[in-house]
Amino acid sequence: MSKNLSELSGRKGIDDNLFERIGNSAQSTGSPSQEELSKIADEFLVGNANTFGTSSFYDFTKSENKGKKIYVCNGSACLCAGTQKNVSDILENHFKSEEIGHMTCLGRCYENSAFHYNGKNYSGRDIDNFSVNTPPKSFSKYVGNIDSNSFLTTPFEGFSEFSALIKKTLSRSPEDLLDEIKKSQIRGRGGAGFPMGLKWESCKNETSSQKFIICNADEGDPGAFSDRFLLEERPYSVLFGMIVAGYITGANRGILYIRAEYPEAVEIVQQAIDSIVKSAILTNTNGFNFVFKIIKAKGAYICGEETALINSIEGQRPEVRTRPPFPTQMGLFNKPTVVNNVETLASVHGIIKKGAEFFSKLGTPKSKGTKLVCLDSFFNNPGLYEVEMGSQLSDLVFKLGGGFKTPIKAMQIGGPLGGIVPVSMINELTIDFESFASHGFLLGHASIVCIPESFPMINYLEHLMEFAAYESCGKCFPCRLGTKRGHELLHSAIHENNKIEHSLFQDLLNTLQQASLCAHGGGIPLPIKNAMYYFENELNAYFKK
Amino acid sequence: MNTAFINNKPYTFNTGESILAFVRRIEGEKSIPTLCDAPNLEAFGSCRVCSVEVAFEKDGKTKTVASCHTPVTTNLHIYHNTNSILELRKNIIELVLTDYPTDLINNKTKEKNELQQVVEAVGIKKIRYPKGANHFRIESDESHPYMRSDFSKCINCFRCIRACDEVQGEMVLSMAGRGFEAHVVKGFNQSFMDSDCVSCGACAQACPTGAISDVFESKNLENAKITRTICTYCGVGCNLEVATLNGKIKSIQAPYNAEVNQGHTCLKGRYAFKFYDHPDRLKTPLIKKDGIFKEVSWNEAYDFISSRLEKIKSENGADAIAGISSARTPNEENYLMQKFMRAVIGTNNIDCCARVCHSPTALGMQKTFGTGAATNSISELEFTDCIFVVGANPTNAHPVTGAKIKQKLMKGTVGIVVDPRKTQLAKYATYHLQLKPGTNVALLNMMLYFIITENMEDKEFIAKYCEGFEEMKNEILRLDISQLEKITGVDKNLVKQAAIAYAKANAAMEFHGLGVTEHYQGTYTVQLLADLAMITGNVGKKGAGVNPLRGQNNVQGAADMGAQPHQGAGYLDVTDASINKKYNQFYGVEVPSNIGYKIPEMFDAAIDGKLKALWVIGEDVVQTDPNTQKVMKALKNLDLLVVSELFMTETAKLATVILPASSFLEKEGTFTNGERRIQRVQKVVEPLENTKPDGQIIVEMMRKMGYNQCDYTAENMLKEISQIVPFFAGVKWDELGINGKQWPVKADGSDTEILHKDGFVRGKGKFYYCEYEESNEVKTNSKDYPYIITTNRELEHYNCGAMTRRTGNVEIVTEDFLLINPTDAEKNYIHDGDLVCVESPRGKVDIKAKITDEVKQGILSSTFHFPEIMLNNITSNEHDSEAMCPEYKVVSCRIRKSRGKNLVV
Ligand SMILES: Cc1cc2nc3c(=O)[nH]c(=O)nc-3n(C[C@H](O)[C@H](O)[C@H](O)COP(=O)(O)O)c2cc1C
Ligand code: SF4
Ligand code: SF4
Ligand code: SF4
Ligand code: FES
Repeated sequence: MSKNLSELSGRKGIDDNLFERIGNSAQSTGSPSQEELSKIADEFLVGNANTFGTSSFYDFTKSENKGKKIYVCNGSACLCAGTQKNVSDILENHFKSEEIGHMTCLGRCYENSAFHYNGKNYSGRDIDNFSVNTPPKSFSKYVGNIDSNSFLTTPFEGFSEFSALIKKTLSRSPEDLLDEIKKSQIRGRGGAGFPMGLKWESCKNETSSQKFIICNADEGDPGAFSDRFLLEERPYSVLFGMIVAGYITGANRGILYIRAEYPEAVEIVQQAIDSIVKSAILTNTNGFNFVFKIIKAKGAYICGEETALINSIEGQRPEVRTRPPFPTQMGLFNKPTVVNNVETLASVHGIIKKGAEFFSKLGTPKSKGTKLVCLDSFFNNPGLYEVEMGSQLSDLVFKLGGGFKTPIKAMQIGGPLGGIVPVSMINELTIDFESFASHGFLLGHASIVCIPESFPMINYLEHLMEFAAYESCGKCFPCRLGTKRGHELLHSAIHENNKIEHSLFQDLLNTLQQASLCAHGGGIPLPIKNAMYYFENELNAYFKK
Repeated sequence: MNTAFINNKPYTFNTGESILAFVRRIEGEKSIPTLCDAPNLEAFGSCRVCSVEVAFEKDGKTKTVASCHTPVTTNLHIYHNTNSILELRKNIIELVLTDYPTDLINNKTKEKNELQQVVEAVGIKKIRYPKGANHFRIESDESHPYMRSDFSKCINCFRCIRACDEVQGEMVLSMAGRGFEAHVVKGFNQSFMDSDCVSCGACAQACPTGAISDVFESKNLENAKITRTICTYCGVGCNLEVATLNGKIKSIQAPYNAEVNQGHTCLKGRYAFKFYDHPDRLKTPLIKKDGIFKEVSWNEAYDFISSRLEKIKSENGADAIAGISSARTPNEENYLMQKFMRAVIGTNNIDCCARVCHSPTALGMQKTFGTGAATNSISELEFTDCIFVVGANPTNAHPVTGAKIKQKLMKGTVGIVVDPRKTQLAKYATYHLQLKPGTNVALLNMMLYFIITENMEDKEFIAKYCEGFEEMKNEILRLDISQLEKITGVDKNLVKQAAIAYAKANAAMEFHGLGVTEHYQGTYTVQLLADLAMITGNVGKKGAGVNPLRGQNNVQGAADMGAQPHQGAGYLDVTDASINKKYNQFYGVEVPSNIGYKIPEMFDAAIDGKLKALWVIGEDVVQTDPNTQKVMKALKNLDLLVVSELFMTETAKLATVILPASSFLEKEGTFTNGERRIQRVQKVVEPLENTKPDGQIIVEMMRKMGYNQCDYTAENMLKEISQIVPFFAGVKWDELGINGKQWPVKADGSDTEILHKDGFVRGKGKFYYCEYEESNEVKTNSKDYPYIITTNRELEHYNCGAMTRRTGNVEIVTEDFLLINPTDAEKNYIHDGDLVCVESPRGKVDIKAKITDEVKQGILSSTFHFPEIMLNNITSNEHDSEAMCPEYKVVSCRIRKSRGKNLVV
């Protein structure tokens, strides 16, 4: 979080973007050459160490990525499904093993066997017909039943409805609109549940000639594909939310930071942006201009964290920033910035169209509206569902999801930092922030990954710690060292039969939880503590008092 | 109300204060341990060792936060030493020690670094983790003469990276990789030597473990004695803390509480001290007999000099004798030297090296403002919103100020740089006006023109405080801008934009250097800078002003003390009878009232046979003054040349008598930095055996020649000076404190940050119109010598290099280079590293080419740090028309690939 780097990167604005330049220079070989990095550094007046440090951070620009041709998903859902060995085996017939890399979660958790080839994602049965030259077209249907009451998933009826609503909305005053958003009591869907109206108001209150709206489309949680759905199937809803955010806060640039693992989303959203530009509905409407830009991420889970994301766009290393100042005060290029999740933004058009009251009547006293939930392939009816906040978890699992295909002992809900919910707790929970929190879990982004009976819990914990260590940004001491040591302890317990000192492990989890700078290191102890509580018997064998 | 609670006790906090600062202020520095925090860096929040618990009410629900980056808020309840916090800190440190190569718990190596102290403070007993992955096998880096790294000891606190970014602004360091794999790299994971590191040492000073350090192990201070003193290398005046062990200098660090440099220095201040006990030091007085230096005792030397001086004085008169005092030496010694010349010899033939650098500044600012000194202070950079740098390259020549300016420019403060070279600051500036050398006056006139035609003058300020505006304005409005555009080679629209930006700023700060003064029209340029400041009302307020970046460490002081031929101590006119009465009384003898020789006039007089004797203190005029052959001819023509020196310089070689003087590390006194700050130079080590501080030498010579001068101590001398120099009235050695005082210092001891606050010292600020005139050098020679070479400085070396070439700096920059534009190089078949013959009407030199777009076509640039090249063989006799400062910056020349060896680098 170098103020200097923010400013220097900001000198060229978002259009000639440092991060993009580093990313592009990696494209031909998988990792940029020193000459290229040095040239970019000179141009942006930053150090060679900066461009080098940045490119070494990301999975798809670091030097180890050189020569990788195809990527196999190693996300939690594909892992639990046990499909990936088969995928790798088949691919090894076509590629040298050093040409095969990994991507973590392609958003195909409902059918697994996911892999990424030549800028496209494949899953399910695609692997069976794989050929290097004419890869099969990926058919993948993943929308579960969306009930008639749906709110978030209702599409615009054509571009004309979209542009009419834009016109109508922009004829209202920013204050009036902000009021509407505040009244709806919508809270962020990206994980922290922060009230959207307050965030926008705080940004609106800043005086600055330049402000930014960022759509956080880095959906990194293995098991989650709701943002992918919205980007690919409801792009206008997402863009609508950004436009309104810009109009209210006085920002004229909107940036969508879309993860590299979602290439199709990038294409589709770009097409939507192009049609908006062509229609000119955003050029000088009541003095308001709004210009979009997509930034393609380069493979780093931590970039979902909003300050890391901002650093990433600036071309800095995506290490988490301290707060305050908050992004709404000093965000991208040190300018006031709103960062919202895809789903949060996609809710806006419904609120505007149907009114704050309609929205706030849905849900519970503190969690309003509807929520998208992702079910993985262990459900009889896997896929995406929109449910009202406060719905019974059991209804989702058994009625909508149709129950499990094979015996399941627990579900991890809300991504890798979400809780591990034993099946015994299904009847206790309703889908809203408070119910999960009060039971010691986390709603998060509400993706569900099943852990089958047959899958050893200790292995799942090792997987989580490995993920946490691999994806740690490395800035703060507890997480950089703690996740690594945690992974080593679990690994050694499984593979070398070294029992873990229980009090040491507890100290480690507490240290991570209390002292980490961000919710990455701070969040990983939650599922582990859940597992140690609910699966004490199974895990006992690996611990000593 | 700003009340918050520490362990339930109420205290008042400062708005914006962090919990860490708040608790430490009240409960002491040691109350909360930290690892990633550092006094001169922004809070970063990586180590988390500073964690505390907070609640919004007494014994309320607590939350753990990092105290370094969490601000205190009203009614916050802070608990910084609960059991759970103490445990947490232990647990964090335990994790740190799992990846630390030595056993700090049962510390056998007695490593006393900051991490070790934190380990002790948190009281950790044992590491419970089994052995895991680590970074112990990273190789250490010994590529560099000063900088060292051993990253096996790195704990990833980011302090070094932040120091390089936030303090030095060089961005040599970064992390690479992520998570546990994250590690510090220099450049592309290179060695210090191969990276762009400028060896400032900020990272080494910041590192809590010694993972980055230096050859002197500066942070290991066990048993060391610390002396605070002032750097001798430039006018910034950095405070240094010098560590000595058994009377030998071990290392130097920069104190964080120094107002001038806040814990920062450049490599000259921090590392280039090894000259002080170099075997080459002159250790005994020498008298040349039959062309050979013979060792003599001090008494013999004094006898010899005094009898020769007496003889010359009686045969040729006092004005056949001259002295060149040194702007490197303290005020007290300069004062004595001028007193010696005036009161003992009886001549005003006293000058100092300010002549060849900032004499036009003193003159120009006296004429316009009434005081020849910086109007403002460097710390006001914080308050400025436009920085205007003319003819100065502070990142090389005034590195600590340069770094501060760079920080401001990086963060978006409007920057205007006027320089023929694309200097580092030019790259970061908003406007770079890359003019042809020698056309400053034309360019600044363009700026005045646009400010006037855009109607952006500060009319109120002008009316209230200035005179001569209308006259100047009328002349300016007559100018043909297109013609000036042609002369300067700078697009008039760019100049207009810059002028508007300068005029629009609430407070704009001007900085200038030798690129202004070392010109035919040097003084005029200074006057125009003053015009620009006045026309925009940028005088007498915070964050504004005209601020010369003084070259040598005590240029300001040397002039203040009267080491110049037309003004005595305190800038008092030597021709004014009433003033002379005061001097006569004070010195107890009659002082002369005719203006003496300036340095170039001394050389002319010597060649003419009018000057017979010259005493030069600490200045290598042969290597550094222009037109070497002429200087040598002059010196050889003298009957007596006395040189006080540390080393056998090119000038010393020509001496009749050499007096081995002591260096700044061996003496006491005061230096006055570029912002008029009088700071204490303290003796760090005893003078090398048989060498003497210049002050003592002069006092002994004065006594030898019958003048009763009191013993040399800084205190004695300041007592004397404060009685004759009006703006030193309240300066007392004991009261200068650690950060000195900025003159004028009133009798009550109060000092002055900003000059001309309520009107100008001169009465009214005076506008001058100065017309551009092409330098004679170019007018006469451009046909046969179509290129212009301009001289400059490298960061690593100081002037003639006598000192820096005897330190590790010489391994970093090994020779002088010729900067040449790629197109010119191609035209002349010159490749990088080729020897180029540069020829002027005075002579020629061979220099190695460095091809760069830093200079435009037709322009060359080089340094004169190395006697092997003797660049001043080609520089001219031309000088500033008013102050006689030599025109080092515009030298007509032609080039060809040298027939000498082709050294490919
Ligand atoms: C480790 C980590 C990963 C995160 N990943 C995401 C993500 O993939 N998508 C997202 O929208 N928010 C993510 N967040 C949350 C963001 O920091 C931020 O709170 C969110 O984008 C704000 O949007 P909202 O207010 O609309 O929820 C993550 C946070 C952390 C700590
Ligand atoms: S908790 Fe982990 S991811 Fe978050 S700042 Fe610390 S090191 Fe980075
Ligand atoms: S010595 Fe100075 S320039 Fe070099 S790496 Fe350290 S801080 Fe940066
Ligand atoms: S080298 Fe030193 S200052 Fe830099 S990160 Fe490592 S321990 Fe910290
Ligand atoms: S001092 Fe606060 S985190 Fe290091």
